[in-house]
Amino acid sequence: MPIDTWQEQLRRGSLDLAILLSVASGPRYGLAIIQHLEAFTDLVVTEGTIYPILGRLTREGLLAAEWVEGEAPHARKYYRLTRLGTKRLADMTGQWQAFVAKIGRLIAASEGGRA
Amino acid sequence: MILGETGESRLRGYLYVLERSLRLALPREVTADAVREIESHVRERLTAIPDGGDERAALEQILAELGPPLRVAQAYSAERTIDEAVVTGRVVAILRAMWHVAVTSVGGFFAALGLFTGYAFGVAFLIIAIAKPFMPDNVGFWMKDGYPVAFGIQFPADQHAVGGYWVIVIGLVLGPACLVITHRIARRFLAWWQSRRRRAPLS
Repeated sequence: MPIDTWQEQLRRGSLDLAILLSVASGPRYGLAIIQHLEAFTDLVVTEGTIYPILGRLTREGLLAAEWVEGEAPHARKYYRLTRLGTKRLADMTGQWQAFVAKIGRLIAASEGGRA
Repeated sequence: MILGETGESRLRGYLYVLERSLRLALPREVTADAVREIESHVRERLTAIPDGGDERAALEQILAELGPPLRVAQAYSAERTIDEAVVTGRVVAILRAMWHVAVTSVGGFFAALGLFTGYAFGVAFLIIAIAKPFMPDNVGFWMKDGYPVAFGIQFPADQHAVGGYWVIVIGLVLGPACLVITHRIARRFLAWWQSRRRRAPLS
C-alpha cells in the first residue's frame, strides 16, 4: 500500500473522533469546526466533505444540530454533543489512547532491538 | 465582504448545481438544509474578508476550498443514502443506495447489476404466479424435446403450458425467496461498501 493511501486511511479513520472532540468544549457551527480542526490538525482536505460527516453524526444521534438566526448576517447551524455523543467520545478517546500507547510500545521495542 | 451582483450570481450558480445534484439522491428537505448550510459556510468565510478586495478571487478561492459542487453532493449522498439503506433496510433506500453505488464505480455497477437482476427475478416469479389464474394457457413451463427450457409467460402460446396450477405455488415460493435473499445480500453489500468507503481517501 502506498504511504499516501495509508495516511489517508489514518486521516479518514480519525475524522469522526476529531469532529466530536471539536464540539466537546461547546457548540460550534460548521466553519468553526473546520477552523478548529485546521488549527490543530491537517485532517481537512476539502471543506465540503466535512458537512456530510456532520450530517451522519447527527443522524447517528451523536450530535444535535440547531439553526441560530441573528448572531451573524446569515444563519449558522450549530452542532453540540448529545449524551450519546459524550459517551461515545469518552469510549473513542480511551480506545485511541490505548491504541497509541500500544503502537508506541511497539515502536520503542523495535528501536531498542535495532540499537 | 458583501458580494456584488456578479459574485451573487456565481454563488447562486454553485448552489444551484449543488441542489440539482443533491436532489438526485436526497429528500427535498435534506437537500434544502444542506444547501442552506453550504451557503452559510460561504457567507461566513466572506465576512472574514475586508470590503474592497478582489471579490472574484476571494469567492473562487472559497468555492475551491469547499470543493466542486458535484463532489460535495457525492459526499452528501454517499453518507446519507448508504447509511439510510444499511440502518433502515427499506426497499426504496436500498434501491436508491444501489443506484448510487452503480454510478460511482465500475465494480459497484456490476454488483448493482447482479442485485437488480435478483430483484427482477423475484418480481417476475410473483407476476407469473399472479398471471397464471387469468391466463392458464399462456403461463407455465415451456418444453422442447421433452425438457423444460423456459418458465414464464408466452404470447402467443405455440404449445400448451406445462405445470398446471403448481406454477402458482412455485412462483409464490421462488418470488419472495429471491426478493428476501437479494435484499439481505444487498444490505450486507452496502454495509461492506460503506465501511470500505469510510476507510478510503477523502476525495
